[in-house]
Parts: sequence; structure tokens; C-alpha cells
Amino acid sequence: MYILIQKQLMIYIRRTDHPRLYTPIMTKTLEIDVRSAEGLKLNRRLLNKKTFAVVRIGEKSRTSHLDVSRGSSPTWDYKLEMPINVSVQFIYVEVWYRTSSGREKKIGEAKIPTSDFMGRYSPEGHLNFLCYRLRDEFGDKCGIVNVSIMVKPNSTDELFKSSSKDYGACSSQVGTGPWRHRPEAPCVDGYGGRIVTGVPVWCVLQRPTIEIRVPRM
Amino acid sequence: MGNCLSGDVAGGKQAIGGVQQRPTSTTTNNAAQNDAVDFFFRSRGQYPLFSQIELSLSASNLIDRDIASKSDPMAVMYLRKKDGKLEEIGRTEVILNSLNPKWIEKITVSFQFETVQTLVFHVFDVDTRYHNVPVKTLKLKEQDYLGEATCVLSEVMTKPNRSMTINLHGNVGAGVTRKLGTLSLQAEETIASKTVVEMNLRSVNLDNKDLFSKSDPFLRISRLVENSIVVPVCKTEVVDNNLNPIWKPVCLTMQQFGSKDTPLLIECLDFNTSGNHELIGRTEKSIAELERLCHQREAINFVYPSTSHGRNKVLKGQLIVDHFVEKVQYSFLDYISSGFELNFMVAVDFTASNGDPRTPSSLHYNDPSGRLNSYQKAIMEVGEVIQFYDSDRRFPAWGFGGRTADGHVSHAFNLNGASFGDEVVGVEGIMSAYSNALTNVPLAGPTLFSHVVDKAAHTASQSLSQNSPKYFVLLIITDGVLTDMAGTIDALVRASDLPLSVLIVGVGNTDFTQMEFLDADKGRRLESSTGRVATRDIVQFVPMKEVHSGQVSVVQALLEELPGQFLSYVRCRNINPVGAPAI
Repeated sequence: MYILIQKQLMIYIRRTDHPRLYTPIMTKTLEIDVRSAEGLKLNRRLLNKKTFAVVRIGEKSRTSHLDVSRGSSPTWDYKLEMPINVSVQFIYVEVWYRTSSGREKKIGEAKIPTSDFMGRYSPEGHLNFLCYRLRDEFGDKCGIVNVSIMVKPNSTDELFKSSSKDYGACSSQVGTGPWRHRPEAPCVDGYGGRIVTGVPVWCVLQRPTIEIRVPRM
Repeated sequence: MGNCLSGDVAGGKQAIGGVQQRPTSTTTNNAAQNDAVDFFFRSRGQYPLFSQIELSLSASNLIDRDIASKSDPMAVMYLRKKDGKLEEIGRTEVILNSLNPKWIEKITVSFQFETVQTLVFHVFDVDTRYHNVPVKTLKLKEQDYLGEATCVLSEVMTKPNRSMTINLHGNVGAGVTRKLGTLSLQAEETIASKTVVEMNLRSVNLDNKDLFSKSDPFLRISRLVENSIVVPVCKTEVVDNNLNPIWKPVCLTMQQFGSKDTPLLIECLDFNTSGNHELIGRTEKSIAELERLCHQREAINFVYPSTSHGRNKVLKGQLIVDHFVEKVQYSFLDYISSGFELNFMVAVDFTASNGDPRTPSSLHYNDPSGRLNSYQKAIMEVGEVIQFYDSDRRFPAWGFGGRTADGHVSHAFNLNGASFGDEVVGVEGIMSAYSNALTNVPLAGPTLFSHVVDKAAHTASQSLSQNSPKYFVLLIITDGVLTDMAGTIDALVRASDLPLSVLIVGVGNTDFTQMEFLDADKGRRLESSTGRVATRDIVQFVPMKEVHSGQVSVVQALLEELPGQFLSYVRCRNINPVGAPAI
């Protein structure tokens, strides 16, 4: 019984240890600037109404001011900051218009994968200029929206420096001086699983190169 | 005939000439000025034997092709090449409802003293929508043809006042030969200058010129050239129904306003959809005077020219300059000479479509007599240019489409054969790596660019975290037929926000329409399969057969779009040359 109780106690303690052993939910702050849109179309015809943009991350959404120029290429330059959970895969930018009676209807939305501005090609603090196709409720193309997104660098985050994106690991290996060694294998190129990058052409005395296949993330 | 009833009114109301383009766009009407090419030749002691000329166009007595309104004319300028074909140089904007248009957009051409340059002008009546549509993307086949004219550039330059009027002629159908009107040209030398002035203009107390509503005012700014010739420089957008309008900021380059003391004619007009805009008032000020008005918070009254009394009537309407900023626009050379590094990477096509290297007709022919094959010639020629701009002469060199020693087809293998380290030194390094690879790597296929583009993008993104100013250029030397267009477009769109340009050099005689699609020069942006649109155009295509036929030098072809692509990257991020004061 005593042992059992101990085990139970141990298990209990382990459970409370979980939050420290595993990574907690990580939030980053995004600086988003919904700049403009082009070629906005309603029912296949170019739009002629006042428009505004809505940014949606998970359950939260923020709305921009109204662009009164009534054209199909409005400019908002709507800057906002929103927190984002790193596990989120998509954020949404929607474009709405206001009808003459004052009602608001959606023209279309763009689905932005977070991998486009976090990870792979985009270090933190880098301003990403991105453009996306807007699609309406039927899936038809109805314009392009231009946004710029930056992940605010969080310098107090020591825990996550090591698990940061691959380019970070690669850049530390790049030295100065006459021989700039560009590392091959450790740099994971996330598109489609790479095959060997080095080619043992003189295979007489070389040891066979191990082909490194990295599975698609 | 979409808009033949009243024309695209929204298009007619938009601002021309003073608008700052989308920061990531690289379209200019400037077919002549190229910093990178000039610098390359000057460093060899070859000074350019040409000067940049700007042409202002206007026409009169055009025929009317629209039913219930007048034509909406646009002029397109071509250069006639040696083989007789026409190469488009530039286009003006579209003017609403006018048979006597005075176009604001200028077309720049380089005036070469020793050759005969034949210019051909075609005038069209635009029937499709053009509001917010870049003029370059308007399809000429869909427009109504109004006439054409031809002249020789040297003739324009040698005339007094450098202006010339030529008759329009052409076959507009209907079998009737009637007068098609005249086209006037005004040529001016351009000033290479970096100063840009941005002003916020507004007006108060304007006169009402409309009957049942208020005026729809807009400003037109013109420059007074010698001998009282007026050349329009820009016009603001139209503000509807407002006697106290506030216009969007106007951005003028020194190219447009001449110098800070050149007198500018500022006219305030009331917009009419019929095309006959009524003059509300005018004033003559130079940029320096406008700057003074802004700083001293003064306003200037408009004046209405009066014919009867001989004295102009001073109006109550005033022009106010709210904001005046003078900015410096750095050029490509400013960045390069300040320490911005250009890094070149080379990728060579090893696919079987090139032909077996043992047959003489192959593009990869290993000629025992030592003659260079197409690829070697291409490498030598482009190598000269890239060695000039890439100071450390270390180029990562890759091949794609070949079957490597392990039996698999690799789409990005190191050309030098090493397992780690893909760099070669100098053009001779690329040549020897290429020869070695040719004997050791059998050609296979298919032709995929996406892997080398991803590798280049990866290298470019690494430099972002290092915070050192670098720009990367990937040169892909290929025989042209792409297998995986969608994958390549996806890779290019992913890389479009990075400091990277992709120059595709086409060898051989295949049909290169796929490449021209990737080059996106017609204004259509590349779109990936995930819905992302390319932020900017990073591709340029150079067909070697045009270089070898003497129509364009390899330097010019390679470096044509590079300064524009480079500037579109640095300007939208407000990156200044190393050590330059921040604006």
C-alpha cells in the first residue's frame, strides 16, 4: 500500500511537472499592415464601393477603417498588432464592402499560411511583403490583397532560441575569412523533401556519401 | 465596344504623372537609362555614345471612333529594328474624351548619334476599362486603331525647338481615306537626378462652374520650356463636387519639374465628362516658391486670364501647400558603390533535351578541337559581367537534371563535384567544373527549376538574419523547355520577397514562350498554387540567340531588369545605401 501510495504520489508529481518539461503554448506578436487591394471584383465586375479589411486570427478579428475612394484598388495602410499562437497554421484577411443601404457584405478572403512569414525564409524582425489572391464564397477569384507582416522579435525568449528555424542554425556555421563554407546537409529545404546535394564525382578514394533524405515537415 | 458611350470616366479622373507607384513595381517608361550597363561600359573606358531623350506627345484632329462620345486616345511608341520588326518602347496614358489630346506621360529613349533610329507611333482609341489598370497591360488588339506615323529621331533633334508635327496615316477600315489628324512631338534631354519632391496641395474658395452641382476640380501642372512651349507634367485626381478640395500627395521628380527655379504653370480645372474641362484659375510658381509658401504658411490666389481688359482677374480661390518634403532617391549604383554586395550563383541545365554530348549538334557538344559549345559560350559571356559585379569571384555553381553517381537524378548537384562546398572561383572555375561534370554526369531529365530556385532562396534568406547588405542573383543557363511549370512558379513566388533575382539565360533555338511567361513583363503577376501572389517580378529572361544575332549586347540583356528589381526590394523596405543618412 505504501508503495502504491508512493507511486501515486510520484505520478501526481510528474503530472505537475509536465508544464515545465514540455513546451508551453507560445505566443508571438505580429505587426500586420494591411496595405491595399487590387482588382476587387463583385460578381465578376470591378467594384465601385467603399471597402474595409478584416484580419482574423483564430477567434479574434480586427477591422480596418473604411476606404472612401470607392475604387477597385483601395488603400488602407491599416497597421495593427495581434498576438498569435505559434501552433496556428493560417490567418485570414477578408475584404468587405458597405452597400448603399449601410449593410456590410464580404467580397472575399485570403488564407495566409503562417509558414509564409514564420520559419523557413523569414527570420524574426524581418518585414515580409506578401500578396494573396482573394477568393469569394464560391471559390472564384475576386482580387489581390497586399499585406506586410513582421514577427516581433521577443528577445526574452531563451527557451526557444534553440528550437528556432533552420536558417538560424545554418547562419552560425557561416564563418568569415577566405573560405566561406556553405553548409549543405543541415540546411533543411522544406519543399518536397530534398535528395542529396553533394555529388561524389571522384568516387575512387572517397567514402560513400550518405544520402540525407528529410521527410516533408 | 465596352465603354463607347461615355468612356471610362473613372479612368479619366485618375491622377497621372505625380503618383508614386506601388513600391514593389518596376515598370517604367524608361527604355534607355540603365545604371548597371553604363557603369560596366564606363569602367572599360567605353563612354556611352548616346544621350537620354524624353518625348512629350500631343495630337490634334483625331477621328472619332466612339458613338456617343469622343475617342479616348492613347499613343504607343515603337522602334523599328534592323529586321523590320517593331519593338515597343513605351506608351502614354489614356485621355478621356478628347480629339486633341496632350499626353502627360513621357516616353524616354536613348538618342544614338551614329545610328538611324526610326520611331513609329500608333494611336489607339481605348475602349476597355483603364481605371487603375497599368497602361502596359492594355491589349492593343482590343482597342480601335486611330492611325500611325513614322519619323526619324535625329530629325526631331535637329529641328528648332526640337519639336515636330507629323501627319497620321493608316488604314482604319471603311475604305475611306480621310484625314486622320496630326501628331506632335517635343523632345528634351533628361536630367539624371535623384531629388524627389512630395507636396500636399489643397484649395479653398474655388469658383463654381457646374450648373446643378459644385465643380469637380483637379490640378494640372505644366512646365514652361523655352520659347513659351508648355509641357504638361502631371495632373492630380479629380475630387468630385467640392469647392475646397484636398488632393492626394503629388510626387514629382526633378526630371519632371526641371529645376527648383523653373516656372511651373499650375492650372485648376473643372472636370467634365465630355472632355472639355473648364479653367477655374491658374498660377505660375516654381518649386522653390511653393516650398516657401509651405514653410511660411501662405496661400496664393488663382488668377483668371482675361482677354478683354488685358488685366488678369484675381480670384478668391487660393492654392495652399500643406506639406513639402524633398527626398533623395538613391540609384542602383549608389547602393553598389556603398558596399552592397552582389552575389551571383550559376545553375547549368544537364537534361537530355540538350542532346547527347558526343553528337556535334548537341548544345553540350564536347568538341575535341576545343571550340566552345553553346553553354560554354554563354558561360564565358555572362561570366564577364558577373565577375565585374561580384567582387569576391566565388560563385556557387550547380547543375540540374543530371544523373549523379548514386544513380538518382539530382535537380541541384554541385558542379564542382565536391560533396561539401559548392563554390568555384572565377569564370575559369565555372568552365572547368562544367567540363568535369559533363564527363562524369550523364544527362537525364526532367527540367525542373524549383530545386535550384529553392537553394538560391535559402542562401538569400540566410543573409537576412546576418544583417549584412547582400543581394543575390541566380543565373540559370538552360535550353528552355520546362517540365514543371507549376512547381517552378511556386518556388519563384516563395522567393519573390527575398533579396534575389533570377536571370534565365536561354541557349539554343527552342520556343521560349514559357520563359517569357515567367518573366511577367506584361504586368501579370505570378501566382502560386497556394494562392500566394508574387510580391515583385524577380525573373528576367535573356535569349542568347538575340545576343548572337547582334540585336542586343549580352551586358544589356542581362542587366536590363536587375537595377529595377534591386531597387524594388530596397526601396519598399526603406533600406538606404550603407552609410547614407536615413531619410
